[in-house]
Amino acid sequence: MSDLEAYRLSARAFLEKMAPKYAREARAGNTVEQDLALGREYMAAKHDAGFAGINWPVDIGGQGLSHLHKITFDGEEMQFGMPVQFFGISLGMPVPIMMHYCEDRDFVKERVRKALRGEEIWCQLFSEPAGGSDLAGLRTRVEPDGNGWKMNGQKIWTSWAQYCDYGVIVTRSDPNVEKHKGLTYFWLDMKAKGVDVRPIKLAGGDSHVNEVFFDDVRLEDSQRLGAVGGGFGVALHTLMIERYIATDSGGFGPHLDEFVKLARHIEVGGRPALGDGRVRSAIARNHAMRAGLDSITKRAFLMMQAGMQPGPEGSLQKLVAVRSRQKLSELAMDLKGNEGLAFDEHAFVKTDWGTSWLNAPTGRIAGGSDEVLLNTIAEKILGLPQDHRPDKGVPFNQIPA
Amino acid sequence: MSILYDEGQQAIATESRRVLDARMSKDRLLGLLEQVGQADQPFWDTAVEQGWTALAIPEEHGGLGLGLTELGLVAQATGAATAGAPFLTFGYGAARALIDGGDAALAAQWLPKLASGEALGTVAFAEGNAALPPAAGVTFVDGKLTGTKPAVPGAITADIAVVWANTGGKPVLVLAELAGASRKAVPSYDNTRLYADVTFAGTPASVLAEGDAARALALDVLARMAVVTAHEQVGGAEALLHTARDYALTRKAFGQLIGAFQSIKHRIAEMYGLVEVARANCIHAAASEGQPGFLLAAADARIAATEAYDTNSRDCVQIHGGIGVTWELGLHLHMRRARSLAVETGNLYFWEDLLVDQLTGEAA
Repeated sequence: MSDLEAYRLSARAFLEKMAPKYAREARAGNTVEQDLALGREYMAAKHDAGFAGINWPVDIGGQGLSHLHKITFDGEEMQFGMPVQFFGISLGMPVPIMMHYCEDRDFVKERVRKALRGEEIWCQLFSEPAGGSDLAGLRTRVEPDGNGWKMNGQKIWTSWAQYCDYGVIVTRSDPNVEKHKGLTYFWLDMKAKGVDVRPIKLAGGDSHVNEVFFDDVRLEDSQRLGAVGGGFGVALHTLMIERYIATDSGGFGPHLDEFVKLARHIEVGGRPALGDGRVRSAIARNHAMRAGLDSITKRAFLMMQAGMQPGPEGSLQKLVAVRSRQKLSELAMDLKGNEGLAFDEHAFVKTDWGTSWLNAPTGRIAGGSDEVLLNTIAEKILGLPQDHRPDKGVPFNQIPA
Repeated sequence: MSILYDEGQQAIATESRRVLDARMSKDRLLGLLEQVGQADQPFWDTAVEQGWTALAIPEEHGGLGLGLTELGLVAQATGAATAGAPFLTFGYGAARALIDGGDAALAAQWLPKLASGEALGTVAFAEGNAALPPAAGVTFVDGKLTGTKPAVPGAITADIAVVWANTGGKPVLVLAELAGASRKAVPSYDNTRLYADVTFAGTPASVLAEGDAARALALDVLARMAVVTAHEQVGGAEALLHTARDYALTRKAFGQLIGAFQSIKHRIAEMYGLVEVARANCIHAAASEGQPGFLLAAADARIAATEAYDTNSRDCVQIHGGIGVTWELGLHLHMRRARSLAVETGNLYFWEDLLVDQLTGEAA
């Protein structure tokens, strides 16, 4: 048995032990606050068991294992439906960036420990009302204020900000240079004076994202991560860390088995749905697509294991999987007919078709919209030209509005 | 088997691509489109010389003893070049039926000849839109075949065919020498596939398998051929992706490269996605050869590859505009091949149904 397989089994054993208290069934009917409290408890248990910070260095409080170990654990954990949604971004990007750039190592160690145990949560303040995809076009500004900085402006779509203790943020420090050259990156205390968090209720009824307003918020220069004017590079570094997340060929919606299970017990026009050509075609096409994505993931995994760089085709995962989840959810609702009109706002996205459908658009927009992903594939993988960009080479404050 | 190609497999991929780049000619292929019954002889000579006919035949029968992964890589190169004769796939199918069929003497007689290219084999399962008809119209009684198999690939020049037939209400898989059948060439949109209606009138044939065993063997042979074809389709789809990309980087309209327009670049990015999903399925299917789950993996590969090649031939032509529909540019070589391959080893209806059968145990 390979080292990774042994690791997977030990992860599975731990998760099975945790499941009765923390997994999907145990969470049914929880309010967000109850779920968060349960999540914090689970994170502490995970830390105690040695499954926290799996691929982080030992000296900072991690386990010192490989990215593959982390993906292995995450893949197993995803199947249980543990209450980890609050901590994914926190541990995924802001905390690793702190580990890399923050010079006060004792401070970082303390934050890492508390973040791993779920005692503190970090958010990432990138998107703004004037632009999500166009990150470098951001307008939240900082200006020198004594030996530190003063920040004003607004961020939006900030996940879990209402529960966060800290955040990392990209700001405009110089509007007189090209847009991506005038940015500076900081960490901040989300409870600081002048920070105002307002939840946004989404179409699905939940409010996990927020608007965050800054009114003369004081930042010490020691909160700066990277050079003044070097914020765009740190932001790109932040986004690169996302490469090592577990993928899901179901687009983070229900598994195809759920669709087959549904079709097994339903008739269409008086005949079993599984005998209906339209249903069969949908199952077959989805299976072929998902099997392809799974095979891409498996190959990338084996390549990393062999010390090679995986191919760029991994970038297809979210694009292909989420939009097909959206369509499959519609089909499942059609199959259920009137019975699919009932809606439970506490249902889980991985087991409920209505919830999956209603939240699918978020998946196609957040973390790179379909269109931006297609641009990235076209430009970075296939070498096609960039779009027409009137803002290129122009100082930020002279870009036509 | 691993889904990472080893050095030997990578060498097969590179070398087959290199040889075909050097020896294939678009003008020759365009000329062949207008002739019925004419194979691309220079390609076939190359295939024999390179040992592609021997690749997946066991060593004890004069072959190289390699498997679907290696044959798939060659098929990918032939697909990219719209090279090919049907025998790369259908000769392999005939060989597999002989290898796994119940007649050792017949296998010993024909496999070395198929490996050396001395004999050409094909497979005659389909009738109309049924890739493997539940009750074949061709019958087998007292050692003799009667009836017609329509548009059998390669049949114009093949020496032997493995035939799916009906014997007293049960399926049977038999081997027939085509010298004893009458063949009528079918003029086609893809003439180098050498389609012919094959009519048996008391043609002697030898049994390879009967009843449930015949059905299991025929399905395995069809799935193996489908995996080879899927590789060929991926090769074609990828060539079209590159052709579209290169054209979008050359052609200008409204003062800029057309590749800068999102309507074009997004279409090309989608083509890339289809190729990579299909490729991943092909790699997985080839590595699943002989294992449980092979039929399901073959169906995944076949469905994804058919979608990729069909879509990419539509879209590559569209991206080219007017020049794309000219005879001379030759994109229609891919259009034609995309459709002939889509049908030859079982259409999408067949593979979608087979996939769902495998997944759920429920037949349509």
